Amino acid sequence: MGLTYMKEFRDPGLAEQLVTAIDQECTRPLRIMEVCGTHTMAIFRHGIRNVLPDAITLLSGPGCPVCVTAQTDIDAFVALSRQPGVIVTTFGDLMKVPGSGTTLARQKGAGADVRMVYSVFDAVTIARQHPQKQVVFCAVGFETTIPTIAAAVLMAKDQGVDNFCIYSANKLTPPALAALMSTDGISIDGFILPGHVSVITGVDAYRGVFDTHRVPSVITGFEPIDILHAILSLVRQNRSGVPALENAYPRAVRESGNPKARQVMHQVFDVCDAAWRGIGRIENSGMALKPEFSRFDAGLRFDLHLSDVDEPRGCACGEILMGLKTPKACPLYKKSCTPMTPVGPCMVSSEGACAAYYNYG
Amino acid sequence: MTPDDTVLLDHGAGGRASHAMFSKMILPLFHNDALARQDDGAVYPVPAGRMAFSTDSYVVDPIFFCGGNIGDLAVNGTVNDIAMCGADPLYISVGLIIEEGLPLKDLQTVLQTMADAAARAGVKIVTGDTKVVPRGKADKLFINTSGVGMLFEGVDVSGSRARPGDKIILSGTMADHGIAILTAREGLTFEGDLKTDSAPLNHMVKAVLSSGCEVHVLRDPTRGGVGTTLNEIAGQSGVGMTVFEKDLPVKKQVNGVCELLGFDPLYIANEGKLIAIVPEQHAVQVLDIIRADEFGRDAAIIGEVTDQSVGKVFLQTAIGGRRLVDMLTGEQLPRIC
Repeated sequence: MGLTYMKEFRDPGLAEQLVTAIDQECTRPLRIMEVCGTHTMAIFRHGIRNVLPDAITLLSGPGCPVCVTAQTDIDAFVALSRQPGVIVTTFGDLMKVPGSGTTLARQKGAGADVRMVYSVFDAVTIARQHPQKQVVFCAVGFETTIPTIAAAVLMAKDQGVDNFCIYSANKLTPPALAALMSTDGISIDGFILPGHVSVITGVDAYRGVFDTHRVPSVITGFEPIDILHAILSLVRQNRSGVPALENAYPRAVRESGNPKARQVMHQVFDVCDAAWRGIGRIENSGMALKPEFSRFDAGLRFDLHLSDVDEPRGCACGEILMGLKTPKACPLYKKSCTPMTPVGPCMVSSEGACAAYYNYG
Repeated sequence: MTPDDTVLLDHGAGGRASHAMFSKMILPLFHNDALARQDDGAVYPVPAGRMAFSTDSYVVDPIFFCGGNIGDLAVNGTVNDIAMCGADPLYISVGLIIEEGLPLKDLQTVLQTMADAAARAGVKIVTGDTKVVPRGKADKLFINTSGVGMLFEGVDVSGSRARPGDKIILSGTMADHGIAILTAREGLTFEGDLKTDSAPLNHMVKAVLSSGCEVHVLRDPTRGGVGTTLNEIAGQSGVGMTVFEKDLPVKKQVNGVCELLGFDPLYIANEGKLIAIVPEQHAVQVLDIIRADEFGRDAAIIGEVTDQSVGKVFLQTAIGGRRLVDMLTGEQLPRIC
């Protein structure tokens, strides 16, 4: 007999017990941040916000990779799609994200060869099928996707697929958490830490941030029972005054994570600084191809003439990602910024906080 | 025709090749008096009353997928659109736009499926047109179907007639078609039976409408799925809606694929399902009639119409939460029908 993880972790009776316990044990207002975009979506999809007591405010953190992709990087993807003989491959979410001028979707409409893929390996396959073209993969992801991107680069190298390359806008989660906690004005009583990312990083990756800032932290999965359980743990930690770094997702996450995946990641990429949309430059939070893989670097292969651009005026994506504002407090929300006409990436990505607020109310 | 023959530009030029294709491939399959006359249009008798008229174009990619192909999709789609007007579909037209180079055996398969689908729905294909465009100017095969049907006496169904207190019935599982297309297109292999639900719903509609039960709205939730269709009706009728997650029928394996790929089955296309909105006192009887139809076995009452939050659809989640079900923005899956 196997657990499907879809029925057991959505059990209404168990959910009710957890909600009752949260209600009874939450004695003061708490601001809890879910770091990961998939958690944001799950919280909205299952209607978790409105079963919680008013004292609990859920904030959506910088954990949607599309949302934190700097506008300069989006501009780079667009510039790549304008290069002659180039096929740009991307995950679907990126297609509609506005750069400073246009989007990949509009470029596609105008005749650029932009293709949506479900896996980076599909991009390698496309490269093999079109030896006369250059195939670029827009690498936007956290620890969950970076190892597979690294594996694709290794595969391209081994198989001599020289017309494949990537533009890396990959990012690392723990440095962003550290940067967030060191920012003035941040007030967070607990973190719901990512489930999928932690499968790779393990619990250990958060140890440093936790020891420095002592904010209650719980790693959990994406089912409603997982999330309610994590919130109850955070309520209890706050009540007892004893913060802990807890793994409430042991069915998927180990203390040391997945060392093999990390080894592949670090075989191909070096840690570098990276620009996060709305937040700015964060030290050691990005991943650049190592010199021995530089021939797979689209940024070096093409002359893209990029310049730093200012983010759209009034867009509060940055403050939203840091838990300083909710989407409804952004002056553009539901006015000039809607899923049909997104201004900031938090509105375009299905995992973005603004899109979740808009779509799920 | 040899196994390797393909459609040539000649087949669409109106000359000998066109005529041969019509008389050898099309007429024998779709045979009926109106078509056999080979006039510029079809002439047919109709009973007195009100007519429904509908058209739809089909550009699905790939043209063959698990459980069907573009042919039965095109026939069932127009049959269902007419049925959703509260009418009995009678005659349909077929316009084929073929890309040069399409294997003739593929065309033959699609035409055979269309003939079978028309027979199953009880409609006649009475007129049509064939065009062939150079390679690259279309993608294998596009089909337009239009159709007419006679309204059932005294029936008045419309997206604007949902009333507070009405029950919302869905005739079966959600998202089967969209997921079947996605898996066929992307070459994704999953265990289990991910088949399109493409089916004619006119017999089901006839049974419901001739039962004496009052029906306010009939709609087939195709592109945009159940979520988008309910939003359209809520807007047209100026009402609110509450849908219960625990009552929404979804096949286990379809739900599994949706979870894996991050899709919400509420927004995935169906091609053989209908939403019926009926007064509460008729809901159980209508549900029983739908369940008695071969394409309605998994039907369920999924929600109710309210006078709260006009124009909006809310979902009562399985864990007791509540959230908005908004209209789908843009495309979730392109070219599914």
